[in-house]
Amino acid sequence: MEGKRRKETKGIEENTLAILDTSGFGKKEISAAQHVQNLNDDRLAFLEAVRTSSIVPENGSAPTSKMYQAIFLILREESSLDSIMASYQLLNDLDMRFPRVYITEKTENESASSVTSLFELVVVEEAWSPFIFGVDCPFTEKDASREKPSGSLDSSGFHLLIKDLSEMDNEESSEESKTKLLRTMLLLQYLVHVLKGDFLPRNRAYKEKMNWSLLRESFLNRILGSRRVSGKALIKDCISVMCKCHVHCGTADDLLCFKNSSKDKLEICSSATTIALPEIEKCLCIAMQKLLLMIMDLDSSKETADMQGLTTRADGVRIPVPEIILDELSYNRDMLSPFLQAFHEPRWKLEIVMQYIRKYVAKPSVRTRRSNGSTNDATFPDILKSFGDGSSTKSILKKISVEVAQLLLAHAFQAYLSLSLKDPSEGINDSEKNVGDCSLVEVCKYMITAFSSLKKTNEHIAILPFGKEALFTAATILSTK
Amino acid sequence: MEDLLDFELDDHLIDNPPKKRKKIIGLDDLLSDHYKQKGSLVEKSRKAKSKRSYSSDEDEDVGEAKLSRCVEECQKEMGKIYGEDESAFWGLQIFGDQKPPPKLVSPDLKSCVSLESLKNMELDCLVEVDLEKGENFLERLLVDRWLLKLVLVRGHLNESIAMWTFNLMLYSSMEMLSTSACDFWCTILSRKNKTDSSVKIDWMPKYSEVKEALEIYGFLTNTPSKFSSNVNLGDSDCIGPPQNIRAWMNFIAAVCQLRSTFAVFTTSETEELLAIFIYLYLDRQLLGVSMILHNCTVSVLNYFTDNEWKSSCEKVAMSIACRVPRDINSLRVVESIIATDSRSKQLRSAVAFQLLLACFDNKFTDAEDMLAFLVSINVKENSCDLFNIYIYLQHRSEATCIKGP
Repeated sequence: MEGKRRKETKGIEENTLAILDTSGFGKKEISAAQHVQNLNDDRLAFLEAVRTSSIVPENGSAPTSKMYQAIFLILREESSLDSIMASYQLLNDLDMRFPRVYITEKTENESASSVTSLFELVVVEEAWSPFIFGVDCPFTEKDASREKPSGSLDSSGFHLLIKDLSEMDNEESSEESKTKLLRTMLLLQYLVHVLKGDFLPRNRAYKEKMNWSLLRESFLNRILGSRRVSGKALIKDCISVMCKCHVHCGTADDLLCFKNSSKDKLEICSSATTIALPEIEKCLCIAMQKLLLMIMDLDSSKETADMQGLTTRADGVRIPVPEIILDELSYNRDMLSPFLQAFHEPRWKLEIVMQYIRKYVAKPSVRTRRSNGSTNDATFPDILKSFGDGSSTKSILKKISVEVAQLLLAHAFQAYLSLSLKDPSEGINDSEKNVGDCSLVEVCKYMITAFSSLKKTNEHIAILPFGKEALFTAATILSTK
Repeated sequence: MEDLLDFELDDHLIDNPPKKRKKIIGLDDLLSDHYKQKGSLVEKSRKAKSKRSYSSDEDEDVGEAKLSRCVEECQKEMGKIYGEDESAFWGLQIFGDQKPPPKLVSPDLKSCVSLESLKNMELDCLVEVDLEKGENFLERLLVDRWLLKLVLVRGHLNESIAMWTFNLMLYSSMEMLSTSACDFWCTILSRKNKTDSSVKIDWMPKYSEVKEALEIYGFLTNTPSKFSSNVNLGDSDCIGPPQNIRAWMNFIAAVCQLRSTFAVFTTSETEELLAIFIYLYLDRQLLGVSMILHNCTVSVLNYFTDNEWKSSCEKVAMSIACRVPRDINSLRVVESIIATDSRSKQLRSAVAFQLLLACFDNKFTDAEDMLAFLVSINVKENSCDLFNIYIYLQHRSEATCIKGP
């Protein structure tokens, strides 16, 4: 039975890959453009054939590695939008249908009283992956994998991809380079998607079973642990891509510049890439945020594993992501505002802002302290209160500029609002240590006091637009509650 | 090396002749014929040369002229075949000239937010909101996501804010306003599914307002006959939908995802939307946002109840079939319905079947009669259009290979 199945799959592989075969083409007799079109037609036919054989039937089998490779190759190097979109969609659909890692859960009633849950992490070892690690890697150090995009990427290939995008410049470029940019963005999104599909079930299983090796084997951990990649540089490039995408999608400050342009006609998109790029950029921005969040979750899990003594020295030590982010933001002031706007996830956003304040505003006057006694656990309301106290405001402003102070407070307030609005069914996490136990109304009041106090230190201080919006929001909430 | 996929040098594949599409096999044959002919001619002329090396240059010229004439003929023949291929780009012009968008009515700032509260708290010196520029400030609140927070804290979206953001989403020529307004709506709608954090919405757009937007974008409701491929490929200033089409699509997907708690469209309206979405796949301008289109199609497909689905699927398939021209576009439209679950599979096969019926001007209603007709077609006849037959067969296999509804 198994043998028959394998034979069938082999047949499908041969037939589908034959569609891509170019030996039947007489290149000399046709123009280059026609040749490109023929190749493109064949690629589309190939993608459709894979879809029909693997996804459409109820019991279809996963494509073979060779077929996967061929699809991935289309996403990596094809230049027609048709094939790029089709291969991206197909890869995502295939991953959904044939996950590499998944969890099976069975609840068995052994007897009337005891219910045991069989919780199993299944790893499909032979599944194709767009990543390649260690000895499998056919490339030597020097010939970086992007030189030969013949298959899966290694850790440095992944980093190079992000780095390339962080240096991108998509203004005023030709249609061809736009398509290329779009393709790279989709490729990166797909890879983040793969990392997520691999990491989430492993992390869940780790938490359930406290088995660190499940996470040690994850793609994400292997990329970050690779000696060819500097984790710090990778994270910096992620931040840079995220901010670039966000700024490019437009911020509130752009509103004024566009105000004068005529409004009586809607803008027509001149090409398929123009209409697609903003959407894909937005999705990439979200994907980069997901990647950062995953790394932070991995770090948290690693921390618990360290404490339990599950890790070994080979697991190495990494600088925590928030620290890297803080370094980057304090070194690169211009990035502070776009980063805080692009980064939506409220829990980590609040944590990052709080760490920033703790780091640069040494020991704010903290009035309430938690019982567990650590010195650094001032909550957000505590910080706000310390800003509201005239003398401490002055000493704070010696350490950070008034603009930075406003941005931090306003963004922390926004994250705080999101957390307090979170659906109770999603559960407020125990680690919401930054929220404190003040009511929303109190926090709004502290917020207004903090900003008034900032203004009082110097009459000439201009309140940033974002700060004004935060104050307005606080005041409106107060007036309705 | 085994991992490297080399399309050119896979001996293995040459041993097993690849299954090519009908057309390309013809081409291969022609090519090999051409080479054979050319080869034999060269052979002959070489023989002639060796035999009559003493003869004059004239004879040689005759041979060469013959050879070049033959090559020319072959090239012409090849050109003809490729010429046919070249016109086979899918793509229709789906959007024409835009209509002027409705005048954006900005909400009265006083009605939605209480500026009084600022005065009371002596905050006006800090916030300095100029009532004249009230809309500007409100736009900033929207883009910076404060407006969303305010609505969520209050648990209430009032009419003027709802209408204002809806219009910005569909008709603002500023990318970030359109996108922000769309995010604003999608977040609020997504909360509708959760009972305990639901937002009370005072105003919801009606289907007519949603449809009107598409017409303002220039959507051609009548069947277009013109191929856009000639215009769109390379020509930069062609007609296409505005950027806002993305927000339009995302908004509808969000609305359709909450049928269980909050039905906005009727069944027949949803049928129309589904047909429109499938039809939009034929616009090459929207190729890059096919992920959104796909997401919309899935959301709309799931909007139907099980009872409605069977008849709705037929109706949608018929409406698509009478709109789409019976050429390569009909193949594209079937392929774009990505078969992932039973509904999409059913729709795909129903559309293919209806298109096949339409190909024969609805002469057959019975699948077996149709099959009998297809079998009777004489492929060798000169008048027989192979491309049409290819289309028939594609539809036929799509209509049957997936279990019909």
